[in-house]
Amino acid sequence: MLFPTISFAVFFAVVFPITWLLNSHNTWKKWFLVAASYYFYAFWRIEFTILLLASSVGNFYLALLLGRLPDGRLRRAVLWFAVGANLAVLGYFKYWDFFAASLLDALGPFGIVTNIPFIEVALPIAISFLTFHALSYVIDVYDRTLKPTTSLVDILLYISFFPHLIAGPIVRASKFLAQTTRRSLAADIKLAPSVFLILGGLFKKVIIASYLSTDFVDGVFRAPADYSSVDLLLGMYAYAIQIYCDFSAYTDIAIGVANLLGYQFPQNFNQPYRALSVQDFWRRWHITLSSWLRDYLYIRLGGNRGGRLATWRNIMITMGLGGLWHGASWNFVMWGGLHGAALVVERAFGLTGAPRSRVRSVLAWIVTFHFVCITWVFFRSPSFDASLVYLTTLFSGAGWSTTMTPLVACVLALGALTQIVPSGWFERLETRYETGSLAFKVAIPFAVIFVISVAAPGGIAPFIYFQF
Amino acid sequence: MASTDQVQPMRQRGGAHPVRTATVVIYATLLLLILTIPRSLTNWLRDMEENPIQQVLLHAADAVQAASHRAGVDAVYIRARSAFFKFAGKEDE
Repeated sequence: MLFPTISFAVFFAVVFPITWLLNSHNTWKKWFLVAASYYFYAFWRIEFTILLLASSVGNFYLALLLGRLPDGRLRRAVLWFAVGANLAVLGYFKYWDFFAASLLDALGPFGIVTNIPFIEVALPIAISFLTFHALSYVIDVYDRTLKPTTSLVDILLYISFFPHLIAGPIVRASKFLAQTTRRSLAADIKLAPSVFLILGGLFKKVIIASYLSTDFVDGVFRAPADYSSVDLLLGMYAYAIQIYCDFSAYTDIAIGVANLLGYQFPQNFNQPYRALSVQDFWRRWHITLSSWLRDYLYIRLGGNRGGRLATWRNIMITMGLGGLWHGASWNFVMWGGLHGAALVVERAFGLTGAPRSRVRSVLAWIVTFHFVCITWVFFRSPSFDASLVYLTTLFSGAGWSTTMTPLVACVLALGALTQIVPSGWFERLETRYETGSLAFKVAIPFAVIFVISVAAPGGIAPFIYFQF
Repeated sequence: MASTDQVQPMRQRGGAHPVRTATVVIYATLLLLILTIPRSLTNWLRDMEENPIQQVLLHAADAVQAASHRAGVDAVYIRARSAFFKFAGKEDE
């Protein structure tokens, strides 16, 4: 069930009032939200709900055990078992075929024939986000920064809650569980920000991301050798805007929907293409993933505590695994590795601070933005070879014509505006909405959705981050 | 358009009855959309597997579509969409 569909609108129109009617019975409300979330998940494949249930129940009991055991080897062993079990499920479904194929490719030239079976099973949707949520819970319990909950429904809801289940944002267990122990307050609903997040998300996904994808980006990346250098340059910019609008749209809608149900989610994007360094970019892009990787991987590896070389190694491992998390392909490893290398270079040359002049700021922005765009080529291309064809054709100066239509150019400009418009503008709009009459409060979402429907393309592609 | 950039911190500015207000906004918006773009609902219901509930809902949606058409309400959407696709130089799928 995709957010910008009638199915979801009907689903939410049923879930919203029942959630609030059950609010005075918090446990019933949570069970209802769990049932609704499993129904939402079952829309893709009903059998994967068993995986969701098994993961939640397994992590619930392992966390209880971690909470009871005294510090020592046994407790550490239970943690490693929990982490290993979560990663084994992820590895089996997501990475088995990739590593099997990579091993066969590596051994082939030496004449070594192995008989590694390919599992070729469908990847359960949301398995990566599900794993991150589960790991966040058991690791926090192990660190004793969070007490294990004795309420199974709280964990079932934390892991399956439908707004964040499929593509985040990654909500920390401590933040979410603190909200499940009490009934929601009506004042928790912030109607204006939620309405604007949902409407903005719909516009970014249905209009900007969809048109950029179907009318330009897909074609350019399918056969880059058939396009001019100008088209490839514009295709690279267009994909940068497309992926931002696609992914931030999902998390915007998720944050808005969760808030309407009385739950608060963290911020996930902060105008990432305004970044003046790669480090700055990662503080603005998929913030909940980068902070998760920092806290649960980079710092666990030693962070910056072991000297320069160890710090660089830890950055490269974190970003390489962060890349691999996005998908079982060497393209994603390359993408993560390039970002890791850039972070190392920035640290080595002291380029992480704010530039000291306007000219340096502009230069820093140009370099950072184009670095991020070039790395998106690896992220988007179907194979490593295709990425190289794209980049070599781009830099070959092959032709100056463009196939970009005026509609795509307008949509691209609108997408770029998302990075330029000051946040104060939205705050003023929200204030105006909040103080408006009830008729005005209805008229705005109706008018915006009506306009989006008028201009919407025929079908809506799934969100890019669903595959991760 | 809004973005998560503006979401934190969410300001405490609840109305007198935030849940009631949100309920009215959600249902009234959906109702207005059904009246002005009724064919989206009928198409969605037709795509569903046939069953007695779906048939009842489909009849109701057909009635709404007919009423919307008689009142000329659905014409706004049809004309606007046609004009947009003509302006954009695209074929409506």
